Amino acid sequence: MFKEFAKGLSITLKHLLPGNSTTVEYPKQKLKMSPRFRGLHRLVPTQTREKCVACYLCPTVCPAKCITVESTENEQGEKYPKVYKIDLLRCIFCGYCVEACPVEALEMSDTYELANFKREDFTFEKERLLR
Amino acid sequence: MVNLTIDGKEVKVSKTATIYEAAKEAGVHIPVLCYAKKLLPYGACRVCLVEVEQMKGRLIPSCTTPVTEGMVVTTMTDEIRKVRKTVLEFLLVNHVVECPVCDKGGECDLQDLSYEYEVVSNRFEGEKFDLPTDEINPLIERNMNRCVLCGKCVRVCDEVVGYGSYSFINRGFETKIATAFDRGLNCEFCGQCVSMCPVGAILPRPFKFKARPWQLKEVNSVCGYCGNGCTVTLGTKDNEVQTIRFNDKTGVNDGNLCIRGRFGYSYVNSDKRLTSPLIRKDGDLVEASWEEALRRITDEFRAAGSASGFISGARLTNEEFFLLKNLAKAVGTGNLDHSGGECYKGLTEGLQETLGIKASTATFPQGEKADAILAIRTDFYETHPVFGMVVNQAVRRNEAQLTVIGDKQGKLTRMPHARTLLHKPGLEVNVINAICHVLLDDGLVKTEGLEGLDTFKKALADYSPDAVAAATGVDADAIKQTAKELATAENAAILLAYGLPYTANSKALGLAAANLSLLIGAAGRSGSGLYLCGEKSNSQGAIDLQVLPSEGALGVAEMLSSAAEGKLNALYVVGEDMLVSYPGKTLVEKALDKTGFVVVQDLFLSETARKADVVLPAASFAEKNGTFTNAERRIQRLHAAITSPGEAKTDFAIFQALLSGFGESAPATETEAFTKLAAETAGYEMVSLDMIGDQGYVWGSDILAPETRNLVAVEGGTQLDARFQLVTGSALYHSGTTSLHAKGPMAVVSEPYIEFGREDAAELKVVEGDTVKLKAAGGEIVAKAKVDRRLPKGVLFAPYHFATLGLNRIYSGQTAIAVDVSK
Repeated sequence: MFKEFAKGLSITLKHLLPGNSTTVEYPKQKLKMSPRFRGLHRLVPTQTREKCVACYLCPTVCPAKCITVESTENEQGEKYPKVYKIDLLRCIFCGYCVEACPVEALEMSDTYELANFKREDFTFEKERLLR
Repeated sequence: MVNLTIDGKEVKVSKTATIYEAAKEAGVHIPVLCYAKKLLPYGACRVCLVEVEQMKGRLIPSCTTPVTEGMVVTTMTDEIRKVRKTVLEFLLVNHVVECPVCDKGGECDLQDLSYEYEVVSNRFEGEKFDLPTDEINPLIERNMNRCVLCGKCVRVCDEVVGYGSYSFINRGFETKIATAFDRGLNCEFCGQCVSMCPVGAILPRPFKFKARPWQLKEVNSVCGYCGNGCTVTLGTKDNEVQTIRFNDKTGVNDGNLCIRGRFGYSYVNSDKRLTSPLIRKDGDLVEASWEEALRRITDEFRAAGSASGFISGARLTNEEFFLLKNLAKAVGTGNLDHSGGECYKGLTEGLQETLGIKASTATFPQGEKADAILAIRTDFYETHPVFGMVVNQAVRRNEAQLTVIGDKQGKLTRMPHARTLLHKPGLEVNVINAICHVLLDDGLVKTEGLEGLDTFKKALADYSPDAVAAATGVDADAIKQTAKELATAENAAILLAYGLPYTANSKALGLAAANLSLLIGAAGRSGSGLYLCGEKSNSQGAIDLQVLPSEGALGVAEMLSSAAEGKLNALYVVGEDMLVSYPGKTLVEKALDKTGFVVVQDLFLSETARKADVVLPAASFAEKNGTFTNAERRIQRLHAAITSPGEAKTDFAIFQALLSGFGESAPATETEAFTKLAAETAGYEMVSLDMIGDQGYVWGSDILAPETRNLVAVEGGTQLDARFQLVTGSALYHSGTTSLHAKGPMAVVSEPYIEFGREDAAELKVVEGDTVKLKAAGGEIVAKAKVDRRLPKGVLFAPYHFATLGLNRIYSGQTAIAVDVSK
């Protein structure tokens, strides 16, 4: 029994040695997020416009009802989102919106530092999402 | 009846049914793309293939195959699934897959089927369609790249509407749906094709990219335009009516609508709607509170007492009419009338004298089975397009003989083997009298039980077909032929529309139509009928509820003339733009000026409202609960779909507030009001709100038997002796003055016009678009010319809807106006 106890303790002690720590000194040091991480949304732009065609699938699938889309016609007669808004205070980062998007116009980036001072700042309009 | 088995279920259906219809009855679902209930079977899409035991070896299209005795049908096997999937794959070879931007996405039959049959890949390759889209017309968006060639649009336009805009052109892979010479759509814009299209090839443009089908809340209500009483299913979102949804399950119209019903809803959302009460202070109308406005009205009307008057439009609900009547009673005046008093008072009086009733005797669905139809006035299609479609189906499906008595050609006269008794303006009654003359002279009809026959016969002596032919220009043989057909028809229908632009001869016309219907026995006979179709959505309700002057009191015309003499101290106008739509503008103007206190209750700041002392903002049909009674006596329920803008209130709420201002009790809800009004309205006694189902409730049952059978002699009109005669009426795209605030109708006909026949146009050297001036006694009107083939020589036409035309400066209710034309 003692043998096992020593073994376990040695692992713990090993982690205390420099260079073996799994925690990082945030915010000085930041982790690289996995590609599947679900952070802040991003609307994918094309050369001339946003890729989004305002099909309303993301607000429809959203369980938190945090996405607002208003579609209209642009000068070329194409459908585009006049308004695209995500209320991050309601968002649960489930990623259904990305999954629902038929044109891959929506992604979730690795940005997770989303704290802010005012409530209004949590509403991400189209311009802030198009990066 | 035929017995058959579908998927193990025993079914008994009529022998004319198809397998698809039998399956539907048995509750077995068979997918379809090209089938529609109201269209003839076609068999274009091959999605509905099924297996029939007795016809083994191939699959059978269920929508075109009639049932036979003992048939054993299987609707789903592995083979059927495979074949249906292949059919879908074929369709998707050329079909552009742009579901994310297609407004049909979410309710698209092809999308649903592709999902159901898991068509995720395609074994076939081909070029996607790349055809130009039809961007010319303002209302109907056609994108033929999405078309699956089911032909529903072609068929509905031909079979139901009778317009025939579309056709298949080219062959094989190149086949597409196109209009004449592939020029783009230019039609009635009824949008029937929009409602039929199973995919996103034909879509309503006003709804383009507005919302997704699943976001819309659907509310069934009754169209607020004409007396046809079509069910409109409002698709609402964000407290706005976004579009009209297809619905063939509720109501009497079988999903059919006209341009006004389908595209004329947008006035409801207009930002020009009144949102707050206005009171005139120092000469200007300024916003005020409801309390102030209502107090002012109560004070003024209390002071005016019996020297006040109430004039109402015919687009209020029955419940509101009931309160209005009570309000007039509370004020202590009998001067109450609706637009009917102006335009068709005579008509109802005429009917009362002869038949003893004041309503249509049959219902619309019976019209479809008629063998002989007599339409009085060609404008019938313009005022009641959806009933016009019923007539079209009677003519096309049942080979009914349609005869039109009219002073011009029109949609009805162009129907297959339609006969037109084209007479000079104002002589309708003469032609009807001639028909009666033939009926009696040739002994074509039984006359037992008809009173007043002898005097009637005597009075008709002058109306022999030949004499009338000479006077009216109608062919005498055609009159005789019509009389013969009407007399021998098993089911005969006589159609008569009335409305504000048809004020002339209204009593004579009512009498004549009733006489004729008595002679041929159409009134009260099952399957036949006399149809009296009001211009406004609740014209019939206003007649039923007797929104009419009480004994010795003033009707609209008298109210206006006594107001013009300064004898009325207060006038209350509800939902009516009298200055624009009533005949005799000068009189109306004077009446409004001379009356001490005028209240106008309306949706918009109309010309009449601009002259008022207090303007109250009211609610549209989409914001109301209540009932309308349509032209066939069908009581149907309205359901509020949105809330009124700003402080606007329903007419019901306004009348309630005013009644309590007068210390009277008012029903608290529309339901309570209906119970009360039903108790005191003839014909409504037995009706309760829960009897009014999806199809409404027809009071007096499907066939309303006449109470009396009096023949009343009626004198014909006289011909106006002038080279150019202007007649007025309704334009197909508009209804009253309300549709002028709706984007749809305005996109098609946005300005007034004066219509010329080709002959006259050539003689006067007028071409389409020229500005012409018509001079008549009382003033002149100026508008752009429209050249058409509708009008006979010497007859001009101008629609009455437009304020800018000022037609009622020269029109004061006459049958035709003598005019001088100059450019």
